[in-house]
Amino acid sequence: MTQTTDLLTAAPPPAARKPRATPRSRHPYRTALSTARARTGLVLVGLVVLAGLLAPLLAGHGPTDQSGQSLAGPGTPGHLLGTDDLGRDLLSRVLYGIRTDLGIIAVAVPAGAALGCLLALVAAAHPVADTVVQRVFDLLLAFPGLILALAVTAILGPGRIPVVLVIALAEVPVFGRLLRGGVLVQREREYVTAARVGGGSGSRVLVRHILPNAADPLVVQIAVSLTVAVFIEGAMSFLGVGVRPPQPTLGAVLSQSMPYLAQAPQFAAGPLITVTALVLGLSLIAEALNREIRR
Amino acid sequence: MTELYPLTPSGPSRRSTLRAAGGGALLLGLGLAGCRSAVSDTSSAPQGASAEPRRGGVLNVAVNADFTPALLFAQSGQSLQQRLIYNTLTRYDDRLHPKPELATSWTYAKDGRSITLRLRDDVTFHNGRKFTADDVIFAVKNLQNPLRAAQLRSTAATVTGFEKRGDHELVLKLAHPVNNLFDLFEFMIIADRESVEDAVAGKKFIGTGPFQLKKWSPGSGLSLIRNDAYWQPGRPYLDGVELRVIAQADALISSLRSGQSQLTFDAPGKSLGAVKSDARLTISDYDTGAGAVYLGVNTTVAPLNDRTVRQALAWAVDRDRLVAQTLGGYGLASAAPWPKSSPAYSEANRTHYTHDPAKARELLKSAGHSRLEFPMLHIALPGETAIAESIQYDLKQVGVHVTLQPTDGATAQKKLISQGMPALWSLGHGFAQVQPSTLAVSAYPFNEAKNTSKFRSAAYTKVVREAWTEPETDTAAANALHQKISRILLDEAFLIDLVVRGQLQVSAAGLHGVTLNKFSYLNLDNAYLV
Repeated sequence: MTQTTDLLTAAPPPAARKPRATPRSRHPYRTALSTARARTGLVLVGLVVLAGLLAPLLAGHGPTDQSGQSLAGPGTPGHLLGTDDLGRDLLSRVLYGIRTDLGIIAVAVPAGAALGCLLALVAAAHPVADTVVQRVFDLLLAFPGLILALAVTAILGPGRIPVVLVIALAEVPVFGRLLRGGVLVQREREYVTAARVGGGSGSRVLVRHILPNAADPLVVQIAVSLTVAVFIEGAMSFLGVGVRPPQPTLGAVLSQSMPYLAQAPQFAAGPLITVTALVLGLSLIAEALNREIRR
Repeated sequence: MTELYPLTPSGPSRRSTLRAAGGGALLLGLGLAGCRSAVSDTSSAPQGASAEPRRGGVLNVAVNADFTPALLFAQSGQSLQQRLIYNTLTRYDDRLHPKPELATSWTYAKDGRSITLRLRDDVTFHNGRKFTADDVIFAVKNLQNPLRAAQLRSTAATVTGFEKRGDHELVLKLAHPVNNLFDLFEFMIIADRESVEDAVAGKKFIGTGPFQLKKWSPGSGLSLIRNDAYWQPGRPYLDGVELRVIAQADALISSLRSGQSQLTFDAPGKSLGAVKSDARLTISDYDTGAGAVYLGVNTTVAPLNDRTVRQALAWAVDRDRLVAQTLGGYGLASAAPWPKSSPAYSEANRTHYTHDPAKARELLKSAGHSRLEFPMLHIALPGETAIAESIQYDLKQVGVHVTLQPTDGATAQKKLISQGMPALWSLGHGFAQVQPSTLAVSAYPFNEAKNTSKFRSAAYTKVVREAWTEPETDTAAANALHQKISRILLDEAFLIDLVVRGQLQVSAAGLHGVTLNKFSYLNLDNAYLV
């Protein structure tokens, strides 16, 4: 038994360790983010975020300003991407749509993650709490994202807060289960036993020792969840239960473009390309982090 | 011996022969293809225009929503199947003159308090039972039943007595004269009285119409087959009709373009850009006036209880832009609810309010307001949202800031009926396409006794009751009453009409003989496919 433990905890042989010596000299996240995959993702996400942040400077028109010039093509003077059916500048709509989307997911995903992690830590503290929290997670997971969205908006009505709530609720069980699994694995490790023998209280050991070691998958999950959040927001706006019009969101602009796909495909192109870039970028970052952490 | 000069080839080489053959084949193919396409075009065009009606074939109709059996006797969102399975007593022509259907002729009593109907004696229901006057009595009583939620219940309720004169003559006795009895006859389907409860439960649909039900798949559509015992000899031409539910407008139009469907009335005007350039499809605009766009005003919410403020809103909206940008150019910008086919229509009323933001601001200022804030309900569908956004923008220009409240259709309908609307709402209304009095006694937004705007006025009630009970429909007196109704609607502006819409039909070029009645019942008696 002792021999087995020694083997598991023993340092790997020098021959096996040598090739990874250089990357391991840096923090694994930095290593992950320096890969070509992650850099591509960072560039894509950075461009979209920057476009959203600089929307007031880049947009020449208000995103809700209408005119008689409907469905103008790209390159129309004053309207780089053209106009929508109500004569609103498409570039402004897309840029401010990014802003709205980012504002929502930047609040919703961390909120969902924090609540999920908190519940996971509560679950890890006591078996009864674990059972209760697990059933709560089961309940939330029983609703597919869009059903949850329709249920929440049926009660609260459409708007920004219901969208944030739906995304956060959808993420709670995802983060909670991930962290709970990590905690269950980590608390059987010998360093935890050592910490307890050293006089650490249960909660102190959980927060100071177990949590930092179980948190790696959460970083990957945040990138994945941001991707999912973009989809949920887009889908809710597309279905007309998202942010209230005329406030632009990428999903809402896409929804408005549907009747004009044949006669004005540029109407849909802006939000489609933006959503694709954002989702692809976040996915590449998540993938790079995942690969590095799994090593 | 070696030849000094190569022989001049006496014929083409193998390679050049192959090239020439290939090129020739290509040109021949292109030429034949061109000829074939030209022949097809020239042969199909006159065939479609002048060919004799052709028997057979199944017509596929694309609809965006399934019908609701519980609303079979009310005006619901999907009414196409009504005249396919059932018949009505009469039908209007384009000038609102009633024409015979199951009733062959009729005579009004001089005092307008009864009408004698003579009925066809050669009509049988799909189950083989003969149609008699008892079926008409049942149909009227059925619409008097509050459970049926029929909008024309008030008109049905004026029938207080029945006198049968044999199986095919009937006298309807009225509590008072009404001038929209033929609206009732156009609206009221004659269903088999023994299976009506099964019909509203969605189990059995038995009528006297040209088609009988083969199958109803809830959410997917209706399958109908030809009624071989139909009372019109030789009709219908079609073997069957399929009503297929295709909810998305793009998919619906794609089904037409690909030939999977040959007819729809549910394509939004703004989605028809691709259809206009497709020679295989034709677009027809019926002047039914069904589905007019309006801005509703809750007159109990201050300061909307002030008529001047409501009139300011009416001046603020750019109706022409609304038609052009949100309805694809299909519709008539109008301040009054009446379509051009209505006896109440007048150009002066239509243009009573035009887009005049300066005048709107001036009226608001005179009422003591420079900035107002209201919620506005609308249905959360792309078309309706675009209309609401357009209105919102126009109102903002005159200092009226509107917060949109996207709502699902069922909730909106519930609020409309229960007078639960917020300060403003944008929806559509019907019932302006028939007798003008019907609008004011039957449509929820206009009903003089109980309307969604909670507007009450003794003058409005008086003029509506007078117009409704005026026995003649085409006299100067009736027209004067219609004008009075219009004047009250325009002056009081408790409901601000914006666009009068018709019914857009998109059909395959080879489909002929399709008509709609005033309540959007599809009539395919004379329809055929070429």
